[in-house]
Amino acid sequence: MKLSEMIGNFRSDPIGTISQWQDKRFLWVFMAALSLFMVILAHSVFQIWLYMRPCEQCVYIRLAFFAMAFGGIVAAISPSNSGLKIVGYLFAIWGSFKGVLYSIKLNKIHHAAHSDDLFGVQGCSPEPTFPFHLPLDKWSPEWFKPTGDCGYDNPIIPDGAQLSSMQKAITDFYADGWYLWPPAHFMNMAQCTVITFGVILLALLVAAACWVVTLVRKRQAAAHVETSSYTGKLA
Amino acid sequence: MFKFAKTIIKSFALVALLAGTSFAFTEGTDYVKLAKPIPNAQGTLIKVFSYDCPFCYKYDKKITPNLVPKLPSDLKFRPFHLKTKGKYGVQGSELFAVLLLKDQKAGLSDRDLYTEKSLLKKAKMAYYTAYHDKKERWDAGPEAYLKTGLDAVGMSKAEFDKAKNDPKVKALLKEWDQSYDVAKIQGVPGFVVNGKYLVMTKSITSIDGMLKLINELKTK
Repeated sequence: MKLSEMIGNFRSDPIGTISQWQDKRFLWVFMAALSLFMVILAHSVFQIWLYMRPCEQCVYIRLAFFAMAFGGIVAAISPSNSGLKIVGYLFAIWGSFKGVLYSIKLNKIHHAAHSDDLFGVQGCSPEPTFPFHLPLDKWSPEWFKPTGDCGYDNPIIPDGAQLSSMQKAITDFYADGWYLWPPAHFMNMAQCTVITFGVILLALLVAAACWVVTLVRKRQAAAHVETSSYTGKLA
Repeated sequence: MFKFAKTIIKSFALVALLAGTSFAFTEGTDYVKLAKPIPNAQGTLIKVFSYDCPFCYKYDKKITPNLVPKLPSDLKFRPFHLKTKGKYGVQGSELFAVLLLKDQKAGLSDRDLYTEKSLLKKAKMAYYTAYHDKKERWDAGPEAYLKTGLDAVGMSKAEFDKAKNDPKVKALLKEWDQSYDVAKIQGVPGFVVNGKYLVMTKSITSIDGMLKLINELKTK
C-alpha cells in the first residue's frame, strides 16, 4: 500500500483503518522488537559492557518490557486471531502500564537521590519483589538481580578491569549516570522509559478501542442485514 | 446577619475538624504494624540501615543527626546494621557491632552516636563516603573493606579480630539479624518504634512530622 493511500484511508475512516492496522503483523512485531531492543540494550550494552548496574526499579522495568515483547510475539503469530490478540493486548497493556508506574517511581527516587529533597520516597529494598512473587532474580540473576543502588546508574568499573579506549570514552561520558544527553543531564533513564511506555500504552489503548468499535459496528451491520432480509421476507 | 455569622462559625468548625484529622496518622500509609515484632524493644527507636544504601547515607547526613537529640527522653535510639545488603554486609555488621559496644564502654549514650566522639559514626561515615562518593567497591576483598573502617577509627586488625569474638558482640549481631524482616517491607532506612511499628519513609514530609508520628506510636 502506498503512503498516500494509507493517509487517505485514515482520513476517511480513522477507526476502521487503525483497526485494520492492528490486524496486521507489522505493529505487533515492531512493539516486540522495540521492547526487546530496550532490554538487550540495558543488559548487554549498559550493564555488561559499560558496568552500569541495574537498580531495583530498573529490573522491574525490564520485566515490563519483556511482558510487552511477549504480548507482541503472541499477537504476531496470527493477528487476525482474536484469542491470540486478546492475550497479546493483555500482556502488552499490563506491561506498559506497570512500566509507567515503575518509571514514575524511579524518577522520584532519582530526584531524591540527586537532591537534598529526601522526603516522599521509599528506601532501597535489599531484594526485589516481582509481580506475582515471581522469583526472577533467582532464575536469572544476570538479567533480574538488582546490583545497583536506587537512584544511581553511573558506571562502576571493577578494580583491574582492562577497558578498551572505546569503553573508557563511553564510561567517562556517562560518569554522572545515564542521561539521554549526559553533558547536560538531559532526560534521565526514568524519564525516557516513562515516555516510551506511555506512548506505547496510549497506542495500545487506541488500537484496542478501534478494534472493539469495529467489531461492534460489524455486528450491528450484520444484524441490520439480517433484520432487513427478515422484514423483506415478510413483505 | 445572624445566618451569616452561623455560616462563618460552621466553616471555621469544618476547617478545624479537617485540620485536626490531617494530623492523625493512619496505619498502612504512615506506619505499618510488624507481623513479627522485635522482642525486648519496648521504649526504643530502632534504625535499620546499610552502608550500601544511598538513602541511609542521606538520612544519616541530614535527618537522623537532627532527629535523635529531639527524641522523647523515654525513647532509646538503637542502630541496627543490615548484613544481607551489600557485598560486605556481614563484615560491616561485625565492625559496627564492635564499635557500638566500644562507644558504650567509653560512656557514650544513645544520643551521642551522632557526635564526633562516636567511633561507630566515624567508621560509618568512612564507608558511606567511600562507597557513595568515591564509588569504592573493594574488589580486592573483605580485608580491603575492613581496612577502610579500621583506619577511620584507628583500630588494628588484630584488635578487631579479638573484639568480634566477644559474646556481647555476638549477642548484638544476633539481635541485628532481625533487621532483614524489617528491611524486606519497604527497604532501608527503616525506623521501628517499640519494636512494633515501622514508619513508612515515603510518608515522611519533615523531621517535625516524623517526631510527631514517633511520639504517637510510642504511646500506642
